[in-house]
Amino acid sequence: MSPNASRPRFPTTRREFLQLTGRGIGLLAFSRFAPAFLINAARASTPAPETGRPILVLIQLAGGNDGLNTLVPFEDPNYFRLRRTLAMAKDQVIRLSGTAGLHPSCAELGALFHDGKLAIVQNVGYPNPNRSHFRSSEIWETASGSSEFLANGWIGRYLDNACAGAPRDSHDPMAVHLGSSVPQSFLGAHEHPTFGLGAGSGNRRENEENRRLLESLCQSPGAADDNASFLRHTLLDSLVTEKRVQRVIGDYRPALSYPTNAFGTSLRNVAALIADGLPTRVYFVPLSGFDTHSNQANQQANLLATLSQGLAAFQRDLASHHLDDQVVTMTFSEFGRRPSENESRGTDHGTAAPLFVMGSRVKGGLHGTAPSLDLARNEDLAFTTDFRDVYATMLDRWLGCPSTAVLGEKFSPLPIV
Amino acid sequence: MTAVEAPPLAWEPLPAAEWDAEAAAHLLRRTGWSAPPAEVARARDEGLSRTLERLFPAQPILCPEPPKVVKLKADAPELARGLAAADPAELRQKRREARERTQDTLQEMSIRWLQFAARPENAAFAKWTLFLGDVYVVSAEKVKNAALVWQHSDLIARHSLGAAPDLAKAMSRSPAMVNYLDLNQSRRDAPNENFARELFELFLLGEGHYAESDIKEAARAFTGYRQQLGEFRFAPRQHDAGPKTIFGRTGPFAGDDVIDLAYGQKAAAAFLPRELTKFYLGEQALPAADLAEIGDFWRSTGFNLRALARRFFGSRIFFDPSFRGTFIKSPIQFYLGLMQDLHLDVPPLPRQVLPPFRQMGQMLYYPPNVRGWVGGRSWINSATLAARRRVVEACFAPLREDLLNADEQAELAAARNEGMKNFSVGDSALGPFEALDSAAAADRLAANFLALPASAEFRAHVRTFLGDDHVDPARRRQRLRRAAVILLQSPEYQLC
Repeated sequence: MSPNASRPRFPTTRREFLQLTGRGIGLLAFSRFAPAFLINAARASTPAPETGRPILVLIQLAGGNDGLNTLVPFEDPNYFRLRRTLAMAKDQVIRLSGTAGLHPSCAELGALFHDGKLAIVQNVGYPNPNRSHFRSSEIWETASGSSEFLANGWIGRYLDNACAGAPRDSHDPMAVHLGSSVPQSFLGAHEHPTFGLGAGSGNRRENEENRRLLESLCQSPGAADDNASFLRHTLLDSLVTEKRVQRVIGDYRPALSYPTNAFGTSLRNVAALIADGLPTRVYFVPLSGFDTHSNQANQQANLLATLSQGLAAFQRDLASHHLDDQVVTMTFSEFGRRPSENESRGTDHGTAAPLFVMGSRVKGGLHGTAPSLDLARNEDLAFTTDFRDVYATMLDRWLGCPSTAVLGEKFSPLPIV
Repeated sequence: MTAVEAPPLAWEPLPAAEWDAEAAAHLLRRTGWSAPPAEVARARDEGLSRTLERLFPAQPILCPEPPKVVKLKADAPELARGLAAADPAELRQKRREARERTQDTLQEMSIRWLQFAARPENAAFAKWTLFLGDVYVVSAEKVKNAALVWQHSDLIARHSLGAAPDLAKAMSRSPAMVNYLDLNQSRRDAPNENFARELFELFLLGEGHYAESDIKEAARAFTGYRQQLGEFRFAPRQHDAGPKTIFGRTGPFAGDDVIDLAYGQKAAAAFLPRELTKFYLGEQALPAADLAEIGDFWRSTGFNLRALARRFFGSRIFFDPSFRGTFIKSPIQFYLGLMQDLHLDVPPLPRQVLPPFRQMGQMLYYPPNVRGWVGGRSWINSATLAARRRVVEACFAPLREDLLNADEQAELAAARNEGMKNFSVGDSALGPFEALDSAAAADRLAANFLALPASAEFRAHVRTFLGDDHVDPARRRQRLRRAAVILLQSPEYQLC
């Protein structure tokens, strides 16, 4: 960020602040409303490295994505037996190997695969699968066993671990989620600065006006009481982050235009924050609608097209900003769907499914083993890769955090990064 | 922080001349969640003494048992038999089902309690039981049985306005407590000290008012306390009936005797008043002389909890200006205050209602540890403030019924049948403000929602935001809604 000469500007990060103070602009220049973290930073004078650290972007395919029609075993007669009306024709799939091909809506993902930037982990699940959306999402987000109830999410525990002992003087978010509610994945034993970004664009002018009023209210004279001034300072601190984030998103110039849907906009905004060098390590972007109990064909085709186009735009944008080395993007869904289609041309809740891992540092290709489809009617897939092996990979080999500290036991990382 | 000067006769009733609408609003906010104008007017007209009679009535106001608790209790014997008969493979499955059922029941309990507590006529009583539950802490995390957790809250409610020693004795027999503080592990040959220690340290006396030997001896007196299927059982063969020396007295004391002995200690009289002060007045401690004074009064009533409440909340000290508008609302108060201030009903939708409590840092039935919630400034950081702001926004966003599953839609329909209809702030809710000019609307919004009068500058900012008086009504309404949201997100609204 370059200092803007045309208007006096408050430093919004520790680093900017230190630059300014280094140039001899003293604390006094910032009036009584200098956010506490800036003042603390001046005391500590030890900027933590803010850029260059590995970043994980999680894409939640909410509702349970049908894995069999995402990565299609087009040579398996059982597939055509189980999917009487929903099977993808062999000549339409995007071939990745002699036996597996992507759904025809996933052309962009196919290209990334052939570029070596897309890994597909096949048949991922967990023992004793639960078929409730709520419970199975909880299992994935807390990285628990099927009969284990954990209060904290795996990303929250990662932050507990990664941020232990770090100075609490920064309010820059360590994890950012799109949408209004904090994902369970983010909940940790300690509070970490997280930030929720409105899905899609929102009304920028209104947000700006609202924030400005709240800021003015925080700065109006009020009760001299300690609790009141403590509240004002804490709120002002978080408004500083919010203002910064909104400005970064508003000023961002992507290298290409993203698909014009909420998912595309969300990924564009994530790219903006990454390009700005926020210390955020994890981003969480939901894409919902995968609960295709009836008339699945069109719905899933549209959703997969949204996913494929959005991810490809995001990857290209990162690459043209030379940020692709820093980011790995991974999808997950609470479960796959039943191999036998139902009577409504849809599929019911199932178990295992493939997941995507995308990035320039990813070892592309098909990983793990394909599910066996030698199944009776309404029988479910038996998973072959535990989702916590994938998490362990991300923790140990990408985020650089000992996975046992987060997952509680040793899982086997996969050679995907 | 300025120390409170102890005025003479600090615990004397507030003089009638000082009882006005502001005082009534202070009483309602601190004993409950908010100060709805109709309730303020009623309290002001009734007078302080009658209002306190009503807020802390002779009979407890019990929250009806949620249907899932009823069912869980009814099924308990059969579930226990099933577990006993299961082979190892089945056992895993059955345990999992039991846990899921408990989680589900806890969610219904949370919703039902919030709905109960949100009603102005229940607010003070509900908060009082929350206070006592923050003394006699149990956590669903460890107890793992929703029915026992419910029973524990119910026991607190039933004893909450009677003699404190009776409450303490009921708590020592509460099946949830028997599990939570390991009384069920305490055997004649191996007494477990967990309960005895917390009884003295956190329930009755406070640190420094007992010796380690008192704990060891008291633990022996509580051996043999068990629970089975939610019923307290005393196992005589596991009880150590021998002589014990506690607080310098020797005898073959049983558990109840220990509680009576503790209440005989000097420290017992001021202990609960101190906890009461922390919970209702804030971190600022009252001078020891004041606590001793109300403690002496309390002892003279036979440690009657209702008498304590009426004395405390009716006193000059409670209405001291330094306690007005300076208290940081807990997440539960923040949420229920919003429900009351915005005339909303708590939606019967755990998936939407409950996660924000976690993000704000206070989950019902899951206190962080045996000390309960710390409160005060520990409620506030950038993440919890952001969560509070989202809760306000969610109140103003229409309920997305299309995203509900079939169970949730059925719950919603049932709640509507019971007369709960307002689940988000509708367009007409700010109707009374629409006729006002911007200056008057700004003043009224601030007066409506905030505990203390807002400064002129504060109101001027809101007025400027509301803008021109003569814009078209739809635009004006939108402006008013946004201003209301921001006012409820402001630092001032976090205080009461």
